[in-house]
Amino acid sequence: MALGFAIGVFGVLILFHAAYSTIQYRGLLKLTEEEFSGPPFNVVIELSLGLVLCMWAALTVPGKFLSIHPDSEENRIVSLPANLDFMIFNHRGKVFPVEMDLKLKQ
Amino acid sequence: MVTKTEENQLNRLESQVDNGGSGAWEYLCLVRKLKLRRSDKVLKHGLSILNNPSKRSALGPEEWTLYEQVAVAAMDCQSLDVAKDCIKVLQKKFPDSKRVGRLEALLLEAKGSWELAEKAYSSLLEDNPLDQTIHKRRVAMAKAQGNIPGAIEWLNKYLEIFMADHDAWRELGEIYVSLQMYKQAAFCYEELILSQPTVPLYHLAYADVLYTLGGLENLQTAKKYYTSTIDLTGGKNTRALFGVCLCTSAIAQITKGKSKEEKEGAQVQSLAAKVLEKDYKQRAPDKLPQLTTALKSLTLSS
Repeated sequence: MALGFAIGVFGVLILFHAAYSTIQYRGLLKLTEEEFSGPPFNVVIELSLGLVLCMWAALTVPGKFLSIHPDSEENRIVSLPANLDFMIFNHRGKVFPVEMDLKLKQ
Repeated sequence: MVTKTEENQLNRLESQVDNGGSGAWEYLCLVRKLKLRRSDKVLKHGLSILNNPSKRSALGPEEWTLYEQVAVAAMDCQSLDVAKDCIKVLQKKFPDSKRVGRLEALLLEAKGSWELAEKAYSSLLEDNPLDQTIHKRRVAMAKAQGNIPGAIEWLNKYLEIFMADHDAWRELGEIYVSLQMYKQAAFCYEELILSQPTVPLYHLAYADVLYTLGGLENLQTAKKYYTSTIDLTGGKNTRALFGVCLCTSAIAQITKGKSKEEKEGAQVQSLAAKVLEKDYKQRAPDKLPQLTTALKSLTLSS
């Protein structure tokens, strides 16, 4: 968890560094008056590395993914709620005595 | 709807609390959230919290909800004096409360004094005529007194005003099934499926009612709903699989001699039979021979 977080921060830092290098490269190109076609090759590698690290961190840090299938083992409906609004009290449980002396103390 | 994870959590908490561990308050909250009827355990553990002044003050304002929950559980377990004590405490705290008035009327119902309870409910209804729980309690009272047609009448009047209450539709469907009025029960289950189409249990109940009604169209619709249940549960519902087999053989029996275009019907039935056999082989292998003979007789008689 902490490792994933650290890797995520590291990935974000790599992305910022790549952005800074690209801005510097553009400044350099403005000095030499060349066209800015795209960032240099090593910046592209740095970008993809930062992408991989950030994605890995985004998938591991939030924790366990929950299933979305309605029929998966965790999500399947086991029983409907007992209709408590329509509960009636004169059932056969009346004849069973409560096993202990339950009282509400004041 | 109680899902499997929630059921596991509930069982774990229950065994933990029953063996003297902590976590009684989480257990009670979970029971309240899932709307289960575990009155004996709620009573025992709720009273253990309420009788312990330190734990009681640790709850803060939730204490009164616990009093209410324990009062209802006590009425269900017929410990009426416990219920009366809880209600007295609540009355002292909230003197003019409708909720406490409802609890008192509920206590009268539990004691069996139906006329007094009826009077209490009517007076509560005069103050707020659109209170859903009080209407439902009137239905429950009629049901408890054995006056099922009266309960049906009250419930129909309630559903004319509050048409979106799916618990009430379910209750009405179950009452009709108990009285064998299957056409009306089918209507109720249709309403349930309309409001909650992703709950496979409603599809299953509807298909059962249609299969009981019989007749070619009902059987075909029942088969459709059994297959939709199989679809929603990913093929794990044994009852729906059996339902498909029975429906197909019943349809084939009715259409015997008429033109045979039901080729895909046989395919669905053979698929369902295969899944059933695999399931039985895995879970109850000693019953497998009986299953195969039963399925063979179904297909032979069609």
